[in-house]
Amino acid sequence: MTVGLKILSITPGTTVQDLGRTGFLRYGVTGGGAMDVFALAEGQALLGNVVEDAALEFAGAGGRFQATGAVSVATSGAVMSLKLNGAPVGWRQSLRMETGDTLDIGAVVDGVYGYLHIAGGFQTSRVLGARSTHLRAGFGHVPKTGDVLLAGAPKRSSNRVGLPRSGYFDQRVLRVIWGPQSHHFSEDTRARFAQAVFEVTKMRDRMGIQVRPDSGAIKSAAGLTIASDAINLGDIQVTGDGTPAILLADRGSSGGYPRIATLITADVPALAQIPTGDSFTLEVIERSTAVDLLGKFRATLAGLPGKTAPMVRDPRDMGDLLAYNLIDGMLRGDEHDDN
Amino acid sequence: MTDDRATAVFGPPIVRIAGDMGLLVEFGEVYHPRINTAVMAFDTEVTDLALNGVIETVPSFRSLLIRFDPLTLAFKRLKAEVEALLARQDWYLARPPGNRRSWVLPVCYGGAKGVDLGEVADLTGLREDQVAAAHSEHPLTVAMLGFSPGLAYLGQLPEIWDFPRKTEITPKVPCGAILVAVRQTVLPGTDIPTGWRQIGQTPFRSFNPDHSVPFLLSPGDEVRFEPVTETAFAAYDMDQVLREGRA
Repeated sequence: MTVGLKILSITPGTTVQDLGRTGFLRYGVTGGGAMDVFALAEGQALLGNVVEDAALEFAGAGGRFQATGAVSVATSGAVMSLKLNGAPVGWRQSLRMETGDTLDIGAVVDGVYGYLHIAGGFQTSRVLGARSTHLRAGFGHVPKTGDVLLAGAPKRSSNRVGLPRSGYFDQRVLRVIWGPQSHHFSEDTRARFAQAVFEVTKMRDRMGIQVRPDSGAIKSAAGLTIASDAINLGDIQVTGDGTPAILLADRGSSGGYPRIATLITADVPALAQIPTGDSFTLEVIERSTAVDLLGKFRATLAGLPGKTAPMVRDPRDMGDLLAYNLIDGMLRGDEHDDN
Repeated sequence: MTDDRATAVFGPPIVRIAGDMGLLVEFGEVYHPRINTAVMAFDTEVTDLALNGVIETVPSFRSLLIRFDPLTLAFKRLKAEVEALLARQDWYLARPPGNRRSWVLPVCYGGAKGVDLGEVADLTGLREDQVAAAHSEHPLTVAMLGFSPGLAYLGQLPEIWDFPRKTEITPKVPCGAILVAVRQTVLPGTDIPTGWRQIGQTPFRSFNPDHSVPFLLSPGDEVRFEPVTETAFAAYDMDQVLREGRA
């Protein structure tokens, strides 16, 4: 029998996300997909899912979900307050839900984008090969109260496991490489850009993040004279008033504003999880170094299933969960984060 | 124009790093039909190389982005392949790729389907009853798809069409709106907000997400617009276009 989760309430802005779409950029469709692909991979590791499986992505707050049958679920990404049948449960773990059990996902307490995964993945409709909701393009399912989101067939039997909190949540130095339009900026401007402290502004969504440099406006000599071309994930665009914006999953596919540099692929999850108001700095690296980091990033993702550790006790049996300090995820004590 | 002069005026093409998963071949900084045709011709050749590790190619007004997996295909190898291809001919003299398609798209000009036609008449110096004929007189080329799914930028219209976009944004124009400014025509595949000026609408839908071929227009395709009446607009059989794959 097909089982899933019924949505009893949900925060607007919640989307279904998988790895997104590939091959349609030439037709004006950007990849979309999870803002934090590391967190997406964590959820798959906790449940034995395949990398393509879809999860719910929350931006700031969650919702209330009821199991329509016995299901395994897991949480990842930004830590959010979580209760199973009213009892607090730790984040970044897999959980067993029986028919009628309710899961309450509250506000984010650490990070920005949190994820709810289900064993077998959510089976919402596919558009152009992916289930990712792209609100601006009108693609994919928009989760709403009353929906029953069905799960696919689980790949393995459920065992309760957890993952430790990953270091990228604290990463405040982001790596960039100079891009195809860096030469439209003077050497002085590039130097100021590279040394600036950037504040994440509230002008942020799945399309991108406007950031405020302490160096003053970053202006291009080219102004607005260059014709549009394709925009890469992580391109840092500078609009007329000198405000940089880092373009992310749901960005437009093309644009004509000058772009000064590109965030490396491996650091996109770290940027996505920086809370509004926090600051970061940049480190300009060589392309070849970025490729090495991409290799390490992929290896870390591939190694996540091996990092999962059995939960010692079921939270249903534990009287006072907070006393066990599980709120930040499973801590076994003998492991360290080398991500 | 001789080979030497074409490259001297428009080029040379420059190979650039575009993030850790991209290589950009930039044929120019502006939109010019010769630069754009070079991009389309080069795209066809790069695609024909079928290099393992290339994820997709993205032609634009002025450049070709090659997205690739640098752990499968080394940047240096891809760059060498691209440079060898670039050296093979003067790409600014290239002819449009032989596989490009031609479309004839009906357009109902003016009225509720072309609310800015009067304004465009003033900007071009044409009489209102001349706008449709002037706009549909020349075949156009899909110079790029971008901004939103299936949205085509078509060029290049004569110089009288060289006026700016509006300063204010129209919150929503329909899929199929015929939008003009800066010597270009924009044909969106979905409803979009826009600053471009709407002179008409086509019942042709370039983007059909549930169809086996979701995108009908491709970069480099030729498009001719054909003025039609409201009645012909209403009678247009898009399902037949989808069945036959042509219009």
